[in-house]
Amino acid sequence: MTSLKRASEAGPFSSNISSKTYVRSTKSGKVQKIVREVYLRQDIPCSSKICSKCLAGAPRSAAGTVSPFVLSDKPAGSKAYPQGHYLVPDTNALLNAMDLFEQSSAFFDVIILQTVLEELRNRSLPLYNRLIGLTKSEEKRFYVFFNEFRLETYVNREHDESINDRNDRAVRRAVKWYNEHLAQTKAKKLPVTVMLTDDRGNLEKAKKEKVPATTLRDYVAGLQEADRLLDMIAESQERGLSRDKKSADFLYPEYYSMSKMMTGVKNGMLHQGIFNLSPYNYLEGSIKVPAFPKSLLVLGRDNINRAVDGDVVIVEVLPQDQWKEPSTKIIEEEAITKNENADGDEGGDIVTEQEKKALQEQVKKTQGLSTEGRPQPTAKVVGVIKRNWRQYVGHVDQSSVSQSARQGRKQESVFLIPMDKKVPKIRIRTRQAGELLGKRILVTIDSWDRESRHPVGHFVRSLGEVETKAAETEALLLEYDVQYRPFPKTVLDCLPKEGHDWRVPTSTEDPGWKDREDLRGLLICSIDPVGCQDIDDALHARPLPNGNYEIGVHIADVSHFVKPNNAMDAEASIRGTTVYLVDKRIDMLPMLLGTDLCSLKPYVERYAFSVLWELNTSADIVNVRFTKSVIKSREAFSYEQAQLRIDENSQQDDLTKGMRTLLMLSKKLKQKRMDAGALSLSSPEVKVQMESETSDPIDVKTKELLDTNSLVEEFMLLANISVAGKIYEAFPQTAILRRHAAPPKTNFDELANQLKVKRGLELRFDSSKALADSLDECADPAEPFFNTLIRVMATRCMMSAEYFCAGTQAYPEFRHYGLASEIYTHFTSPIRRYADLVAHRQLAAAIDYEPMHPHVRSRGRLEAVCKNINVRHRNAQLAGRASIAYYVGQSLRGRVAEEDGFVMKIFSNGFVVLVPRFGIEGLIRLRDLADPEPESVFDADGYKLTTSGSRDVSVELFMKVRVRIQDVKDEATGKRGAKMELVRAG
Amino acid sequence: MPLDTSTYDLALLRVDGRRWNELRRLDGQIRTQAAADGSSYLEMGNTKVMCVVSGPSEDKRRGQTSASTATGSNAADVAVSVVVAGFSSVDRKKRGRGDKRIQELQTTISKALASNLHTHLYPRSTISISLNVLSQDGSLLAALINASTLALIDAGIPMTDYLVACTAGSTSSYAANDDRADPLVDLNNQEEQELPFLTMATLGATDKVAVLVCESRVQVSRLEGMMAAAADACKGVRDFLDQVIREKGHKMVTEGTIEKGASMAIEIDA
Repeated sequence: MTSLKRASEAGPFSSNISSKTYVRSTKSGKVQKIVREVYLRQDIPCSSKICSKCLAGAPRSAAGTVSPFVLSDKPAGSKAYPQGHYLVPDTNALLNAMDLFEQSSAFFDVIILQTVLEELRNRSLPLYNRLIGLTKSEEKRFYVFFNEFRLETYVNREHDESINDRNDRAVRRAVKWYNEHLAQTKAKKLPVTVMLTDDRGNLEKAKKEKVPATTLRDYVAGLQEADRLLDMIAESQERGLSRDKKSADFLYPEYYSMSKMMTGVKNGMLHQGIFNLSPYNYLEGSIKVPAFPKSLLVLGRDNINRAVDGDVVIVEVLPQDQWKEPSTKIIEEEAITKNENADGDEGGDIVTEQEKKALQEQVKKTQGLSTEGRPQPTAKVVGVIKRNWRQYVGHVDQSSVSQSARQGRKQESVFLIPMDKKVPKIRIRTRQAGELLGKRILVTIDSWDRESRHPVGHFVRSLGEVETKAAETEALLLEYDVQYRPFPKTVLDCLPKEGHDWRVPTSTEDPGWKDREDLRGLLICSIDPVGCQDIDDALHARPLPNGNYEIGVHIADVSHFVKPNNAMDAEASIRGTTVYLVDKRIDMLPMLLGTDLCSLKPYVERYAFSVLWELNTSADIVNVRFTKSVIKSREAFSYEQAQLRIDENSQQDDLTKGMRTLLMLSKKLKQKRMDAGALSLSSPEVKVQMESETSDPIDVKTKELLDTNSLVEEFMLLANISVAGKIYEAFPQTAILRRHAAPPKTNFDELANQLKVKRGLELRFDSSKALADSLDECADPAEPFFNTLIRVMATRCMMSAEYFCAGTQAYPEFRHYGLASEIYTHFTSPIRRYADLVAHRQLAAAIDYEPMHPHVRSRGRLEAVCKNINVRHRNAQLAGRASIAYYVGQSLRGRVAEEDGFVMKIFSNGFVVLVPRFGIEGLIRLRDLADPEPESVFDADGYKLTTSGSRDVSVELFMKVRVRIQDVKDEATGKRGAKMELVRAG
Repeated sequence: MPLDTSTYDLALLRVDGRRWNELRRLDGQIRTQAAADGSSYLEMGNTKVMCVVSGPSEDKRRGQTSASTATGSNAADVAVSVVVAGFSSVDRKKRGRGDKRIQELQTTISKALASNLHTHLYPRSTISISLNVLSQDGSLLAALINASTLALIDAGIPMTDYLVACTAGSTSSYAANDDRADPLVDLNNQEEQELPFLTMATLGATDKVAVLVCESRVQVSRLEGMMAAAADACKGVRDFLDQVIREKGHKMVTEGTIEKGASMAIEIDA
């Protein structure tokens, strides 16, 4: 009988084989023991250009290429290491100061150890991704050394040794090896490999083992611009050193343990959802959980318990005696916590006196109400699953900066007030408080511990003076996460070599002409806003012999230039959309394509993707086909020009006739859509007029809508719907579509109630058709804007439309509620939207023009693309609106305007007014009405606020009011904004 | 958690520290069970399988997975049964007899072996191969085929050549469409989860492909590279199996464990 024991332990591998065993727990709470093999080797290079030995034995890829060595042979020196140095940061150094490592002025020649990389990946995936990004950048010279696979640097965990200690030891071993290894090269000027760590114990051990090591802070202090760089080290890291100094008092309740939360969620006792902060009250949040139809309220600092807007949190429902009404009061953080001292933040009560007072009043009000005012269930946050922290733009709170700091260079804590009102003040430590005053600055939140009232963050960089155009625009772009950096070279390399000289090939034998129809003979024109450079679409119409019409929509053939999965495509898919700001456009595709080669400019030949219909006189589709084509636009009109040309009876040429046909058919199409229940929704749109030279805003106009606007819109909708049907038919799993879900009924409850109480109108919302009809009835003959106001408010009750991949939803869910169409996609603006580009590729494959690239076929990838462009699309809209709001404010600068406004929302201590002329909303608080603040009676059921005492006014919902608008700079916050004053009510 | 396969291009190292063309540690033994006609034990990294061959014996049971029933009855049946131990993977999982994946494994192995073995020498008889999976860490089919080859040699059943198998994958996923993707050989479990891969079996050191199984989506352009890498890896596996058999044979001759009357069909000390 032979034993099955492994034959020979002294095999060729015995010294260099090892295994890694670890335990992990799965989502369902199971514990798994994983065993992995590890093969130790000696051919992992040090990657230093000094070392020729490693280069000789460097590994080769399957193609036989050797990756070039990364670390410079003459690395930068510093005071402490004049002969030059390589840096080896430990995990905490990277966790706390990733921004530092991304600096372009310092931190070169960094060795990232595998141990550190693995640990970082466990702790923070975003940071890990940023680090991987750094290792790919050539100028930063970051090298990942796989120390765990190298025989000499592999460390076995010892008995009774914690994982952290073992990892620290691995880092020290690697640093030691590097120094010894480089010494063997006998180079004249030998760089030192230095460990960066902030762990006391680790530093001491390093000293004992004679491993060069320093703290991050000491290292940075020795660099140029030390002050600026020192601010970028995370706050919490310092505390790590002084942790045992004092045991802080805890201000917030402790979070539950992960396993407790998971079991809680599983058995339905706890609920998970995304935390949303109320825009009007920073002490009130709501959270939508799948278990209940309505959101749960989270009231007060204790219950919010360090959650920030957007975090994924776990909540526990509070007992019924703690249920409350949502507040009817505006509570702003700035106003209430204005004079808090940033340094004296530790200790004390978590809820300040003022906050308590504000809440107390609210409770009184709620309880004073009759039983009809049903209190809503409330909840408290018991844990955070995922933080949604990003970098925040804001400005330093002036009142938190001490006098001495304005001159000196003393380090002190100051508050940063983020631009986003939903984000709490952030405490940062800085030595440059004086300089940062009045600047827009970018910061990151590092942590929010139980003992600190406000989150703690660190300075990243300064964008410039507040209210300078450059700083404000950049702030806006950062705030909405818009990628605004110039296109990298790799992207520009994907452009056609001919540049602006690119022409449609003259010979129809050219491969570019393959399967393209020659539509150059058609009378095609484009209609766009004035000054439009990226012309996506053009149209034509001509009568057919049988009395029907041939209508063509021609869309720029972007997919001809942007091939799947090259650098340009990757960049476009990340950007997702072009962002239009008042004075700036951030393109999705490089200028050359967007405004020239793809743009369907007049008088030149261009590649296009055409949708051709045969429509009968009542605008029914007889048939439709799709083809790639070559077109030549005859004219590029603006909406106004097109309108004039159509209205001018003396114009009887074929082009104008075609346009009249288009207009006639578009009206019929629109009518059909309306009959089917399409909504005409509204949001106040304004246009900022700029002075042509200085581009300073001078005036604001509301946008005018002409017939030609809706002409273009109707045919674009028709094209999108036709294309959606076609790609869905060809690719039922992967077609990229756009849906607009029907809003939940509860969304309209409040608006319907308001209309009923105030105007006796009934809002029906059981279908989009019913809603559209009842919205039409909501009119006030005396006040034409009333209808628009209701539409604006109804729009806010809607869901937002989204892109999705056909396979992820059932067919009935495809419906576009707003357009009352069964199926919809975006096809008509490939220059400025990535979704359209994907739809183009799918349509090209559907008509057998070209095979489907695997990239466009993989459903997982498409879902990721949809997710990204949904976010980008929304951010682009928000950024555009914010930009308009900023310029409206700027145009009011130094002026006082009196305008009509309408009350949109009413609170017990203020109300919100919408001014249609400027498309802005403003909050008027009671204390703004008169000084001292007038007494007030708030009728919550009647939506009415009556004041008495220092000023007698009565304000109701939907009421027309006269307001004075002026641009005011708040001295305390240094923020400028349009401020409204009530002139008279009614 | 350790890193995943996406870090390969940072230093051309795989998740377990191997290069793209390196096999895992192989360990094999034959004649592990004296009572059986042929037996073997094989480890490819942490994938551990055991194989017992009995037969050729008189045909009693019909209806087992057999390849030759379709081709004609004048050859021996190759009946393969695979048993995956419940403790073989991280999660304890019971696999029933009718499990479709296991049936597929059995059919694949049985067909491949039937075409390699000289089954016509044993009409109306059955060669039954039972395979036991003790531990799984990727490349399961390959390990099963290799173990069967060893055990069949031990049983002395004539065959054309070693039937050797290995897996090959590609370093980037299907959709990533990375032009510089390297092929990989002998994938472990983690790599199989994350990357596209195929299993290939060849006849000895030739490029004759006996089995090719690919269940993940691979871009056509990468397939050739993967197959070439797999063929090379199969040569490595063949050399290893050959060495195991020669060592065992040498030992049997020198230590005299050969039964009287039995003859060795292989050369010793080639």
